[in-house]
Amino acid sequence: MQNKGFLRVREIAAMILLLVGVKLSDSTPALLTQKAQNGFWLIPVISFICIFPSFLLMLYLLKKYKDKNLVHLLEAILGKGAGKAVSFIIFLFAFLSMTLDSRNYIEQIKLLYFPESPTNIIFLIFMVVVFLGAKKGFEVIGYSSWIGLPLIKASAFTIIFLVLGDLVLQRIFPIFGSGLPIILKEGVVKASMFAELFYILIAYLATRETAKFNKGSIIAALIAFFEILIFYFIYITVFDYNSVAKIAFPFHDITQFISFGEFFTNIETLFMVFWLFAAFLKFIIFLYITTWIFGVIFEIKDFEPLLLPFGFLVGTIGLLPFNSVINELHFRETLLTIMSPFFIVLPVLLWVIALLKGGLRKK
Amino acid sequence: MKKTFLLLCFLFIMAGCQDRIELEQQSYVIAIGIDSTDDKGTYEFTYQMANPEVGSAAGQGGSEEPATETVTVQGSDILSATFTANSFVSKKLTLDHTKVIVVSEETARSDDFIRVIQSASRTPQVRRQVQMIVSKEKASDFINNNKPLLETRPHKYYQTMLTRAIETGIVPEATLHRFFQITEGDADLFLGIYATTEKSDQKSASEGAEDKYIAGEIPQIGGSPTQFMGSAVFKEGKMIDIITGEETRLAHALDPTLRMEGYLATVPDPMMPDYRVSYEYSQAEMPKIDIHYHKDKPTTINVEIEFQIEVIAIPSLVEYTQNVAYRKKLEKEVVTRLEQNTKALIEKSQKEYRSDPFYWSLYVRKYFKDIPSYEKADWHKKIYPNAEINVTYTLDKLEFGKMINDSKLDEVRD
Repeated sequence: MQNKGFLRVREIAAMILLLVGVKLSDSTPALLTQKAQNGFWLIPVISFICIFPSFLLMLYLLKKYKDKNLVHLLEAILGKGAGKAVSFIIFLFAFLSMTLDSRNYIEQIKLLYFPESPTNIIFLIFMVVVFLGAKKGFEVIGYSSWIGLPLIKASAFTIIFLVLGDLVLQRIFPIFGSGLPIILKEGVVKASMFAELFYILIAYLATRETAKFNKGSIIAALIAFFEILIFYFIYITVFDYNSVAKIAFPFHDITQFISFGEFFTNIETLFMVFWLFAAFLKFIIFLYITTWIFGVIFEIKDFEPLLLPFGFLVGTIGLLPFNSVINELHFRETLLTIMSPFFIVLPVLLWVIALLKGGLRKK
Repeated sequence: MKKTFLLLCFLFIMAGCQDRIELEQQSYVIAIGIDSTDDKGTYEFTYQMANPEVGSAAGQGGSEEPATETVTVQGSDILSATFTANSFVSKKLTLDHTKVIVVSEETARSDDFIRVIQSASRTPQVRRQVQMIVSKEKASDFINNNKPLLETRPHKYYQTMLTRAIETGIVPEATLHRFFQITEGDADLFLGIYATTEKSDQKSASEGAEDKYIAGEIPQIGGSPTQFMGSAVFKEGKMIDIITGEETRLAHALDPTLRMEGYLATVPDPMMPDYRVSYEYSQAEMPKIDIHYHKDKPTTINVEIEFQIEVIAIPSLVEYTQNVAYRKKLEKEVVTRLEQNTKALIEKSQKEYRSDPFYWSLYVRKYFKDIPSYEKADWHKKIYPNAEINVTYTLDKLEFGKMINDSKLDEVRD
């Protein structure tokens, strides 16, 4: 492991921002609008309210137990066997999310920019790049995220700026979309759209002082949440409630829609570069932490050689779904639905067990 | 080992060339025409392709090629017909730079129109900014007859022609984006651009105004035969009527989501009705739309429009600038005419179309908590046709240009 504990607040924040925030540009909005219609931009609010306390609780436990990462914490609280079992479930969730998400990104690249190339080849190249990036180690990934972040965010803000003229604010009404009960239910069920926050806890010891990690992750989680909210708000005010449900990739529809005045039209490729950069970084981080979780569970100290087989597995499994609609609306929805209660309840359970066992009193 | 690795690297890099296509190998389609045929589900697609050599420095001056090539093929949707067209077009047809989709009136009025236009939104090639034109004649005739004299490059022609026409408000902004939003929103009417290259019964300008036309009616000598004027009214994805340029301007004035720069218009001179006073109309602010939704009784819609005018010409030479009483009369004349015309348009939309071309349904939405109750209230059938609508125009500023007084006729001819 090339981890020397040099990461600071900003690198941690940048990584979490990329891991969670890039979600605003994939098919998650399409998934959410299917049921909630134009109320879908409120779903992240509910989801965040549901899952953020659990995340804070996790951070609290990690702080109490000192010098432990996610898996070691679970082992310390639940005992070795049960801790490993639960960790393995988390690993499976992370791995499946990464696989299904990556297929989604591949579909976007293929449909919009490389219509002739076969999906397998794009997937292969994508995973090779991700693997080579991940192999550089966690600190390099952290630095690259921090360096890339301003560019990625600048391009996102340019998009917001250019699309401002086309917003029609009245489109957010009727405010609760297809109904308040549905929004509330979907908000809870899809709470795991922020599940990546938990995976990154494996890197809890990556910073020299854990307070830095706490600070970085909390700041980044809040910023990512607002970013997602802003973009979802834009989607609903640019497209209307019936149209947004039909669009698979609203982010790209917006980049195709905007132009620099009369003369510079068709400018989507400009944004595609930064979006692709963000997507690469996201999956580099994702692949690295997933492998890391696996490595810690099975006590493999030097887990980095595992990156290649895992990258390969992501590619092969990701190719299995028949098409992107099934992938997104069926598999990914099911996965999110299963993950949500798990991540909401797990930290609370851990806390209760720790309390009963007296693990919190020790220090 | 190193060599193998290098080779592998190249293998990956080369894979990026799979989608490589040179500019030379593509034909950029600027306008797409859609006509229905006798067979249901089969359409005639006309593609107007730009010749990039014309009008550019790369053309080396002496090129004799025309600016465009227009082909018509039959097919079932916009994209698959491009492949059929390749049996006689030498390059790959690319729709990335399409500026307009021309639909014949006949096709637009058919029930199946929504099916064929829907395919345009599925492909990432056709942009949402593409404007929709409804032509009186067949779309293929429209594209073939359209021979711009100065702007021979088609993309520039459509760009400048439509931008200017939309700025003056005689045709609406009719992007595919707006079409799908309004059609899928299942409320309101969509206005498409109405145009033709055929002359019909021409009205003379003496009948009143400079904008009471629809395309084809404008007396014209010289220039390109294509006229853009008025709009095609679409309800639920199907064309139902045509409105004039004047009515289109009013729709612009009443709809906050449409942009209009301002236009020149005339009113009969209140002091000497034989002459007309010309003025420039502009709206500095969005119209204020205030809807009060009532469940059991008719909804009230109050619209306030603040506008400014600048008087451009007073051929009657009446002293409007200094005489307060005259000026008041002129102000009143302008406001009443606008209000009358607006009232007529609203009445027509309530009784005949039973929906509004102003996108006002946006403003009633806030009275509903969720979409099922909003859809149940039914804008098309219940809310709008029965609503009580008051439109008030307020004249905010009246300017008289750079002259204070016109010449005094009695002094000139003494």
